[in-house]
Amino acid sequence: MKILTTVKKVVDVELNIHVESGAIVEDGLQYVINAWDENAVEAAVVLKENNGAETTLVSLGGGDMTDIIRKCYAMGIDNGIHVDDPALEKADSSVYAKVLQKVYETGEYDLIITGKQAQDTDSGQTGIMLAEYLSIPCVSNVIEIQVVDDGNIKVSRLGDAGTEIVEVALPAVVTVSDSINEPRLPAMRGIMMAKKKKIETTDLAGLGTSYDEVGGNALKSEVVEFMKSETRQAGQKFEGDAAELAVKVVDLLANEAKVL
Amino acid sequence: MDFDLTKEQEMIRKEVRKFALKEIDPIAGELDEKEAFSEELTQKMGEIGLFGMFVSEEYDGQGMDYISYIIAVEEIARIDGSQAATIAAGNSLGIGPIYYFGTEEQKQKYLPGLCSGEGLWGFGLTEPTAGSDAGGSKTTAVQDGDEWVINGSKIFITNAASDMTMGVTVQAITGTRDNGKPEYSCFLVESGTPGFKAVPMHNKLMWRASNTAELYFDDVRVPKENILGNKGDGFHQMLKTLDGGRLSIGAMGLGGAQGAYDLALKYAREREQFGQPISKFQAVAFKLADSAMEIECARNVLYKACWLKDQKRPFEKEAAMGKLYASEVMSRVADHAVQIHGGYGLMKEYKVERFYRDQKLLEIGEGTSEVQRIVISRYIGC
Ligand SMILES: Cc1cc2nc3c(=O)[nH]c(=O)nc-3n(C[C@H](O)[C@H](O)[C@H](O)COP(=O)(O)OP(=O)(O)OC[C@H]3O[C@@H](n4cnc5c(N)ncnc54)[C@H](O)[C@@H]3O)c2cc1C
Repeated sequence: MKILTTVKKVVDVELNIHVESGAIVEDGLQYVINAWDENAVEAAVVLKENNGAETTLVSLGGGDMTDIIRKCYAMGIDNGIHVDDPALEKADSSVYAKVLQKVYETGEYDLIITGKQAQDTDSGQTGIMLAEYLSIPCVSNVIEIQVVDDGNIKVSRLGDAGTEIVEVALPAVVTVSDSINEPRLPAMRGIMMAKKKKIETTDLAGLGTSYDEVGGNALKSEVVEFMKSETRQAGQKFEGDAAELAVKVVDLLANEAKVL
Repeated sequence: MDFDLTKEQEMIRKEVRKFALKEIDPIAGELDEKEAFSEELTQKMGEIGLFGMFVSEEYDGQGMDYISYIIAVEEIARIDGSQAATIAAGNSLGIGPIYYFGTEEQKQKYLPGLCSGEGLWGFGLTEPTAGSDAGGSKTTAVQDGDEWVINGSKIFITNAASDMTMGVTVQAITGTRDNGKPEYSCFLVESGTPGFKAVPMHNKLMWRASNTAELYFDDVRVPKENILGNKGDGFHQMLKTLDGGRLSIGAMGLGGAQGAYDLALKYAREREQFGQPISKFQAVAFKLADSAMEIECARNVLYKACWLKDQKRPFEKEAAMGKLYASEVMSRVADHAVQIHGGYGLMKEYKVERFYRDQKLLEIGEGTSEVQRIVISRYIGC
């Protein structure tokens, strides 16, 4: 089985980000792998360990992806492709999906595993659009993947009311939830071996396409402004007897929070 | 001049930090309190490759440079001194001598099991009557046909009496040199060899979750091929081992100082007195500023020593400086950190008291601060 996983580089939100005139200040930012994509990588590596598979990851976007891809190598991914094209800087989910379609078409993959969303945009569309463009099945929010045979997998997806078990024919796209697994920490040996592995770098032209062809000049959506979330105010603590407290809390709910 | 770490070194720092936070931080306090060495945790450290870090891949090592090893020890020490001790001693004292001085057969036989973290190996140098004065040790080894017969005892030997311990390297007198001084050689003694006993030592102030042992050798017979390298090389092997080991003790000082400082800074920003966070009082802020500065200096001197070693250049003076300085920095930083925590800093509920205790060993083990000053003063020509 040949598995393709997608990995997006996102801003490390655990560090403070600064916003100036409606955009994130790039200087001093640190990047990490989108957390859900780490689950996707882990899922691919687990399938490889249990059933045998060749795992390839693809990362889109300009800039240095070496650490991100090497980390995935260290976790057990076999091959890495970096579509390094500055044109992709403003791309939306649809453009990403189109580029992934091109990547898919250059290899013969049986299964595509993506994170169900990216932690920076939270839009959760790329994997689903990719399946649509490829006209293959897609199951989203998956929490378990089992191989049935060469041509079929059985996945569990978390629905609102319970877990659905879905059997799908390959090739297919699966987008995974963070409850599917706990991504492993790469071992030291893996980190050292990762350095010796090659990263295949290509661009849109290398994939036989152009920014225009993947829809870059007619973006379906565009971010016009970025506003930082308000930091939460510290809570308030009151002491006193129950009756006094009740009066105080009701007053605050009615007059400060204005929810009553 | 380049102060940047490589991508691998950065990744090692990040991943070891995550490991320490996830696997060690939640249980470090409890293991310390119970004075329990955890085999399970040691094996987990082995699984992610914290043993045999500077050993090449042909012996199942991790093939990393020395600075990567030191960064890993630093990151573990940032969370817990005891686990850092298991790693530092496991690598520098257990694995190091076999890797650097062992015969091909010895390396093939012992290194894979030690590098995977399945087993531990101790390094027995210190004796009850010979600490700083390692040349005063009394343990002897006498050749008898195809065997060596070892008699004597060792004290304070890390990783030597756990259920995972596969054996120890022991330094013994094997004769007299031309100048009338004793000749030393090192021997590999496997656990379970008749006459060899390793007894755990308890009631330590610090490193309470690290395994420390007293060793007894009572007519212990080992085959003659168990001599480490060549007969008569024991003293040189010991000095070389300690040079490298000092860097790992330095890393424990650096990491421990960083850990105590992190706790103190966080606490100082949260704790309010007189209507403002205590970090706003100059007396507190200056302690933190001094700590940050000293940690930065310690990191620079230590990394430089590692860099020299990785470049195969002389690093012994810098190693002694790094060990001495980082361990004393941790002493000052941990002291500030407890002071900043006020009364809470004295309670076991707050982690900072463990750093305060764990620090003290660093000024004593692998050459006391006084001995480091002797070493440095010799290098500068006193
Ligand atoms: C937890 C722990 C783990 C250890 N692990 C190991 C291990 O794995 N393997 C091992 O071999 N050893 C180990 N040691 C032993 C350690 O290396 C010794 O304790 C250390 O070398 C000091 O020796 P000592 O305790 O005998 O002190 P002493 O040598 O008796 O020193 C006592 C005091 O006298 C000072 N002093 C001695 N000589 C001089 C001098 N010439 N000039 C000025 N001052 C001097 C010392 O600096 C010190 O302050 C460990 C110790 C501990 C506590």
